[in-house]
Order: sequence, then C-alpha cells, then structure tokens
Amino acid sequence: MTSDTATGARVLVVDDAATVRLYHTTLLGGAGFAVNEAANGLEAVEAALGTDFDLFVVDVNMPKMNGYACVEALRSDTVGSDAPVVMISTEDRPGDADRAYQAGANLYLVKPVAGDRLVRVATMLTAGKDDVA
Amino acid sequence: MGLVRKQAPQQPEEVAPERPPAETLLRRLDDPDTDLRREAALGLEGIAEAVPALLARVHVEDDPRVLESILITLAAHDTDEVAGSLAVHLASDEAALRTAVAAALATMPRSVPDLLPALLAAPDHDVRVMTAMILADLPHPDAHVWLLRMVQDDPHPNVVTGAIDALLPSATADDIPLLEHAVQRFPDDPFLRFTVQAALPRLAGTA
Amino acid sequence: MTTATAGAGLSDADFTRFCEYFYKRTGIHFTPGKRYFVDKRIETCIRNSRYDNFAGWFAALRTSDRGEMAQDLINQLTVNETYFLREDYQFDAMLNTVLPSVIADRGGLQRMTGPVKILSLPCSTGEEPYSIALRLLEEWDLIDHVDVEIHGADIDSEVLAKASHASYGERSLHRVPKAWLAKYFVAVGAGRYQVEDGIRSAVTLHRVNICDTASMRAFRDYDVIFCRNVLIYFDELSSRRAAENLYGAMRPGGYLFLGHSESMSRISPIFTPTRLPEGLVYQRPTGGN
Repeated sequence: MTSDTATGARVLVVDDAATVRLYHTTLLGGAGFAVNEAANGLEAVEAALGTDFDLFVVDVNMPKMNGYACVEALRSDTVGSDAPVVMISTEDRPGDADRAYQAGANLYLVKPVAGDRLVRVATMLTAGKDDVA
Repeated sequence: MGLVRKQAPQQPEEVAPERPPAETLLRRLDDPDTDLRREAALGLEGIAEAVPALLARVHVEDDPRVLESILITLAAHDTDEVAGSLAVHLASDEAALRTAVAAALATMPRSVPDLLPALLAAPDHDVRVMTAMILADLPHPDAHVWLLRMVQDDPHPNVVTGAIDALLPSATADDIPLLEHAVQRFPDDPFLRFTVQAALPRLAGTA
Repeated sequence: MTTATAGAGLSDADFTRFCEYFYKRTGIHFTPGKRYFVDKRIETCIRNSRYDNFAGWFAALRTSDRGEMAQDLINQLTVNETYFLREDYQFDAMLNTVLPSVIADRGGLQRMTGPVKILSLPCSTGEEPYSIALRLLEEWDLIDHVDVEIHGADIDSEVLAKASHASYGERSLHRVPKAWLAKYFVAVGAGRYQVEDGIRSAVTLHRVNICDTASMRAFRDYDVIFCRNVLIYFDELSSRRAAENLYGAMRPGGYLFLGHSESMSRISPIFTPTRLPEGLVYQRPTGGN
C-alpha cells in the first residue's frame, strides 16, 4: 500500500444497507484498512465491545438503533471509545450535522460520498488529524 | 442459606395472568416514571380503545424504550388508522422516531400496501428513502413489485439506491435490465454504478 | 458458474441468497462447506410446506405470514438438543463474574435482602435449571451464605412434567462428572438417573408463554435469566415483545444470557450489552437511562 498511515488501521462500517457496506468496505479495504461490518447500531456497539477500532463509519437511518444513538453509545461508558466517527447520511436537512456532532461524531458527510473522498477522510482521521471538515 | 424455594407446590405452577384495568394503564401512559409508561404500553396489547391514546403518545414520548413498547403494541393492530398515523412520523426530524416508526410499519403487511401510493409520491425524498427501508422487510408478496417501481421511476438517486438495496435479496436475472437502466439514469452516482456492477454476476444464476 | 443439486435445485447464487436471508433472520452463518447439509435440509422444508421448487418456497418464506415455515426451517437447520451442562461457559460467567456483580450491586452480603433469583426460560425438560443448581452447589463458594431461588419455565406442559420428574438417560447426562452423579442423582434402572429430591424441590417450575405480557408480569426481580435458543423462532413483533417481557422480569442491573449464536442486536435495543471474559451478556440498565 502507498498510504502508510492507513495500512492496518481497523475500521467498522455501520450501515443497514448491504450494498453500502460492500461499497465502503471495498473502498477502505482497497486502501489498506482492515474493515469489519455491522448492520445496525446495536451490532456496532457489540462489535466495539470486542475490538478496539480506530475509526467508525456510521449511517444515520438504521433499524433497532439509529446512527446518532449508536455514536452516543460508542462514546458512553458502555463502550468508551474515543476513536474518530464519520457519519454518512442521505439526510441533508439543516440541523442534521449539528445533531451528529452533538452525539460525538467528528465529521458528517451526505451520500453519495465519492470513493477517493472517503479514503482521504479516513486516512486523515486515523492519522490523528482533526481539521479535515 | 443455599438453594431455597419460594413456595412448595409439587407440580409445575400455572402462572396467573395479571391484567390491570385498561383505565389504569391509559392513565399510566402519561406517568413520569418511564418503567410504568413502558409497562402500560405493553399491557394495552390488543385493546382497540387504547389505540388513539397510544398514537397520541407517539408524538410526545421522548424515552426510546417507552417508544419501542408503544410501537410494538400499535403495530400488532395493523389497521389503516394505525399505519396512516404512524406514517406521518417518517418525515420526522428525529432519527430515533422515524427509524422506529419505519421498523413498526415493516411489520404491518395488511395496512401498509394502501399507503404506498402516497408514500411513493411523497415530495420529501427522505420519506421515500424510509419507504424503501420499510419495503425491504415488509412480509408481503407485492413488496418486490413496489420496489421495482421505485427503481424505475423515482427521480432521486438516494431513493433508487435504497430501493435497489432492498430489492437485491429477492432480485433475479429478470431484473438486470432495470438495474442497468438505473445506472444510465444517474451516470454520475459512483455508489449506484458500483452496486449494480457488483450485483450483476450473482443475479445471472438466480431463478 | 452455477451448479444445480438434484432435489432442492439450488444454484450457487440461490445458496448465497438463502444464507444471507438466514443470517439476517437468525444470526446463524453457514459457510460453503455446509452446502450439502443445508441443501438437504432445505429440500425437506420445501417438501414439508408442499412447494415443488426452491424459488416458490423461498418467495413464500420471505413474504408470507406463514410462521410455521420459518419454524420448520430453523428446526431443520439448528440443533435442538438439551443436556446437562450445555454451553457451560455461560455458567462459568455466572459463577465468576455475574453473581459477584449482582451481590455487589445489591449492597454486598451483609446488606442485601431477599434471595438471588435465577430463571431458566424456556427450561424444557429441566436439564438447564438443574445444571445451574449443580454448579452453584459444587462450585460457588458463597452458596452457604446466600439464599438462591432457581425457577424454570416453559410453555409446554409435557416437557414441564418431565422436568418435574427429573429422570434422565445417558444422552442428557454425558457431561455430568461421575462424582456429581453419585452425589446428586439416584439410579432408577434402565441406565436412567433421577435428580435427588433436595434439588428437585428447590427448583420451582412454571408454565408460561414468554410472549404473553399479562402472564409474564408474574415474573419479577430476577438477577439472572437464561433465555437460550428460543427468540430465533419468533417473528419480528413476537421476539420484540418477548424481549420486553424478559426486561420486565429482571431487576435493574440484572443479567440476561442468550444462546451462543444469538444476539439481541437483531431483536431489541432496550438492553445494554456487556462483554465478560466468557462472552457477551445483556443487562437491564440501572437508573433512568
């Protein structure tokens, strides 16, 4: 891999849509990230209890536990993760991004996200930079 | 100390159901204690007279656990009144409410089909995205047909990709032309192109 | 490439599609190595539900309200055995982590009032609640300082009658150490052993439907519930209601064990998952969160 910052960082892709998980997993996997998947917020919380992820890529509209509640749970004592979170949503209403940051996300993107942008953002966030928004 | 038993019946006990009066439970729907509200909503199972109060509570309930219990009881009614009143919340700014309501509607195969013409024509594309989510899980033989229609006609790419995601588990080789047409309709959407390309080889072998 | 098998006529693509459906429905994942097994069992299900091909059967399974089709499928593809000390690692978790935490939460040995309450639901023919009793008596150092109530419940009165009689053959007993067999069982002939009276009378048995909220209201303040391998059988609304009823039966801070392939993440958001050294358990949260 060319990107030394990305190689090996562990990412959890959280989305109820199998097609979105495949897209994000293919992009990030191709860039050298080690990617796991979860189909809703609860699965993400359970996965994060067993593995220290370096980055979470989280959808908003999911059954069982939505993206905001998921990020809140990741940040709470239940999991206690301070790894960066990118939320990716179809929603582009005013206030959505604020809600994401309030929950503890580091970045809010609106679908569809071009492949190179997602990889760039993931690489920067896992390299410890927080000024990409 | 050690192992003890509560009473001493020799045979397995038949549990006696406890049914507090409906008026008591209806009153508790507004109690400040979340456990009482949650239990009241569950206890109102199957009581048609409680439906309006439960529907009204959906508008104001801010505890996710209580909302979950209200929706379990409401969804079991599967009537036009319940489905129509719940569908209003698909447009909610609260993600917790709109996703919980979508999950409830996905368990209402008797009443949701009548709502679909309105939902598919909703001016807010976010409502149509939620509709694709409902159709993904709705146990109804026509769900597939409705999703085909969304893939074919919906003007918003995020609705089309949502409908394709919901469609793929039941899609067959017959649906390949429709998927290819969707890519042509939105040539600039990288995700849509990727999704269809990834799905085609698998569809080729399905009956 | 697609290869069709004789009976079910599943192509590779159909097999993949089926496995994705079954994973989403139950959390159980089949690798391609299980192909022959899965094909055979699906064939049986197609026959049982009077369809003549995979496509028709699979469409009906996914889109109809016919719950018995899903039940038959899960029965065919899962192991329904019950025997003493099955999934023993969860009893390890109970002894090592859960019970110490329960006692601490309830104010410690000196200050806690009332017994520790443990529920096995469904308890089937009784192997699970009696296993809990055996492990507590043999391996929990606090058993002489704490009162423990063990309850078993099931919807089926026939299995409850067997649980009450508590006589078992080799199949049920193969994991029970010889010394425990000698100490806690009585030989009743024909290779069968009956749980001794002291333990039998310490386990309270109830008949209840886990999906019936009014009946489940009788179950309160349990510290530990084992609810293994039953929620996967229920449809969406029934499994959510069953989860609510379990929640209502638990003390805040109480622990819930599901079967090893099960996850509450497919069912309900109301519990808090907790990872113990022995695996995942669920807690009813304490306080107002």
